[in-house]
Amino acid sequence: MEDIVVEVRNLQKTFKRADGTQVKAVDDVSLSVGSGECIVLLGPSGCGKTTLLRSIAGLEKPEDGEILINGETMFSGNRNLEVPPQNRALSMIFQSYALWPHMTAFDNVAFPLRSRKIPKGEVAEKVKQTLELVGVGELAEQHPSDMSGGQQQRVALARALVAGDDLVLLDEPLSNVDAKVRDQLRRELVEMQREINFSAIYVTHDQIEAMELADRIAVMELGRIVQLGPPREIYERPSTRYVANFIGTVNELPGTVRDITLDGNVTVSTELGDVQSLGEEGLREGSEVVLIFRPERCSISSQQVNGGHCWRGSVNTSSFFGSHTEHQIIMTKQISFVVWQADPKQFSYNEDVWVTVEPTSIRSLPSETHEVVDESH
Amino acid sequence: MARIDPEVIESVSPGPLGSKSLVSKITPFQAFSILVGFGTAFLILYPFLRVLIRLFWVDGSFNFEPFRNVVELPNLGQLIFNTFALVIAGGGLALIIGFVLAWFNERTDARVGALTDILPLLPFIMPVIAAAAGWVIIGAPRAGYFNYYIREVLELVGIHMKEGPFDIFTWYGLIFVYALYLIPYPYLLISAGLRNLDPSLEEQARVCGAGLRRTLWRVTLPNVWPNIAGSALIVATIGFAMISVPILIGTGAEIEVISTRIVRLLNFTYPPRMAEAVGLSVVVLVVLVGIWRLQARLIRGGRFATIGGRAARGRRIELGKWRWVARSVTFSYVFLALIAPLYGLLITTLNGFWSPKTRWGQLTLDHFRTVLWFDQKTRDSLFNSVYLGLVGATIGMIIAATISTYVQRSTGKASTFIDGVAKLPAAVSGLILAVGFVLAFAGPPFRWHGTLLILLLAFIATHMPSGSIAADGAASQVGHSLLEASYVSGASESRTFWRISFPLMLPGLVAGWSLLFVRYAGDFQASAILSSTRNQTAGKKIIEIYEMGSYAYLAALAMGLTAISALIIGVTFALTRKRATISVV
Repeated sequence: MEDIVVEVRNLQKTFKRADGTQVKAVDDVSLSVGSGECIVLLGPSGCGKTTLLRSIAGLEKPEDGEILINGETMFSGNRNLEVPPQNRALSMIFQSYALWPHMTAFDNVAFPLRSRKIPKGEVAEKVKQTLELVGVGELAEQHPSDMSGGQQQRVALARALVAGDDLVLLDEPLSNVDAKVRDQLRRELVEMQREINFSAIYVTHDQIEAMELADRIAVMELGRIVQLGPPREIYERPSTRYVANFIGTVNELPGTVRDITLDGNVTVSTELGDVQSLGEEGLREGSEVVLIFRPERCSISSQQVNGGHCWRGSVNTSSFFGSHTEHQIIMTKQISFVVWQADPKQFSYNEDVWVTVEPTSIRSLPSETHEVVDESH
Repeated sequence: MARIDPEVIESVSPGPLGSKSLVSKITPFQAFSILVGFGTAFLILYPFLRVLIRLFWVDGSFNFEPFRNVVELPNLGQLIFNTFALVIAGGGLALIIGFVLAWFNERTDARVGALTDILPLLPFIMPVIAAAAGWVIIGAPRAGYFNYYIREVLELVGIHMKEGPFDIFTWYGLIFVYALYLIPYPYLLISAGLRNLDPSLEEQARVCGAGLRRTLWRVTLPNVWPNIAGSALIVATIGFAMISVPILIGTGAEIEVISTRIVRLLNFTYPPRMAEAVGLSVVVLVVLVGIWRLQARLIRGGRFATIGGRAARGRRIELGKWRWVARSVTFSYVFLALIAPLYGLLITTLNGFWSPKTRWGQLTLDHFRTVLWFDQKTRDSLFNSVYLGLVGATIGMIIAATISTYVQRSTGKASTFIDGVAKLPAAVSGLILAVGFVLAFAGPPFRWHGTLLILLLAFIATHMPSGSIAADGAASQVGHSLLEASYVSGASESRTFWRISFPLMLPGLVAGWSLLFVRYAGDFQASAILSSTRNQTAGKKIIEIYEMGSYAYLAALAMGLTAISALIIGVTFALTRKRATISVV
């Protein structure tokens, strides 16, 4: 049986700008997080992910909706109930670390325990343990200003874990850290979460981070959750153009639906000819769509190939990226495709090539970018 | 806008799009803050309202008599002209020099570590009244030390002068002294602005080939414009309220300003002409409000590059040999503002009387001792001022800290109201507030006439804006995320205040405290009205002595006051130096 640690229902939060206009930061969002699950809220600046996180923490007061943690209501618009953040059973890591500069690492990490009136001896032991766990045991007597960014973030993590809360909220904790350290910390976060088994809600705009950390990703736009699902599902079966473009790179080919079969095969007429693809419900004959496929799902060759769709284009760039080679191919004046190959062979500018892709790798999506699908688990 | 570092957004604006993010139920801590806030509001507004009512509301109807009386004041036009001319000239000069000093220190290699950072602030140590007295002593045309020394030097080259060459009792003398003591304010503000300016803006201009002057004019200046505008406002506010300088120097120059006329109306006519005094005050109030609104509009209309957070300092402009020219400008300022008047006071005291022909062999501390120790009245006045300073500054800063913390955390009408009231006395002459205190508290039911208590309360009310601004600065140093991290760690509001906010605010609060001390100890305005023969303050005594013409006496008292202020500031500075360099993450 799965325990639900956090449940958010129909949350609504609006901000008023200085000039009086209202902005819906969180627009009727529902979400639940299970025990031991890591949900990543993913989206660009202004999509509402941080506001949602802060509302769950109790640092923002929503207008309407409900928030429950471990079955207890923390916020209810109807009942006008609001539990302050200090009484919610969760901890949080901030983007700027938010370590108190006048305290040592030890005191920083001990603070949550002392606030809960835990006896002195226990405090010392727990703090030492947690600092060791995150790998900064020897920095206990240092002040934050004497540490590197990575070390500070580890102390912040220790402070979040020390009280043993089931739920940890993370607000873009790795964006202030160098790339190499970020990779390292990210891996450690995954391990730690697996080991200690806390639930996490993680906010980020970095989709690579999202893919690595998440059990499920909630892609957000303009205050709404556009798609919610495991990383693979989001990547392979994005529900809208917005999601497809946000996660990874994607090739787009606009067209109009010519035919739909019952098992979801969609024939689309495009500038490059008719294309077979897989589609979702809601598409009709005549719908404007965009065909999408991933760069690693297509291939490139100097001669025409049989099987699948094969189109002719000319090379614009062909760059070696180490793990793969990236080719930009111009198909028509408006359309160009990106192709990734493991083969390090590079083509020359203006060379004629053929791009091949299987229909099973192509999806049809409605062509409006901002169709929002309200999904709750 | 230039690069905006997220941590700085957190400390500058409390949450996305300006909403404040905390709970709305009233906690005991908030209740306490509100109590303190409203208590202070009462202390400030009640006397003010009593004054207004007394004057403008007679027998149940609105009374315009005071305005008529003001208009019928002799030489009103001259009065207003004098006041404005002094504030504009002195303030303008202060802005320019303040900007130059700030630019030298922040943007060029003329800076000599922390020394040049604080040099232009040293004049704060000296109560303005003491400084003005010092300048009288060194700048008087015949007996002034400066003039005497210069004449002696000129004699050597055969030029013989009976008096001069400088005369402090003139327009330029007065403007000069005004500017001297206004300079620290724009210096402070513009330094802060330049420090926070993203250096890549200027570097970009220089890379594009813009010369030094062009970069300064087109890039630097426009981007510290808010700081300059803010400085102009502060300079105007303080300039209009200047009183010890016009009394000590302006009277000799026969230049009267609004504030000295107000003193005359209240103190030196019988019965006191309160209506006209208040009327004049209202004139100043209206002008200041006008400047405030102008400043607000000017800032809103612009686009300013703000803070690059933890960005590395840009390369300072290298002045080469001109470094020393720049440094000498800064040193000259400190010399003129602090050392010169202090020298005048010191020599006069040691000498026993005011004469430029110092009896170097007969300098003695006797006079100092006589005046300050053996004369009961003088000793008492000094003691009172110090006592009021210590107690009052402490109470004042505690109130200011509570209000600032509360205002920082909550929106809502109560919060804006309390914040505004705390700054209100800046616009109203301290003399008028003092009169209000007489009306409100001297008679029944309080009967605090002539007590130290009424002085204390008046000081707290009059000087609240300084404390409030210092506390605001200290509070804004504590980023919101630091407080939020405390809440989500399970700490209550009160625990968060004592363990997080207060320790981090402390250096700023202590600095504010010491500046408040200097103001209280050197206060003249409230003292002029409220101190009685029983409970005199040093400021009042100094003016009394000045009227009597006993300059050695005056110098001794002014020296004593300055020495004590310097001591207090020095001690607090030493105590907080270590903690002052905390970088708040």
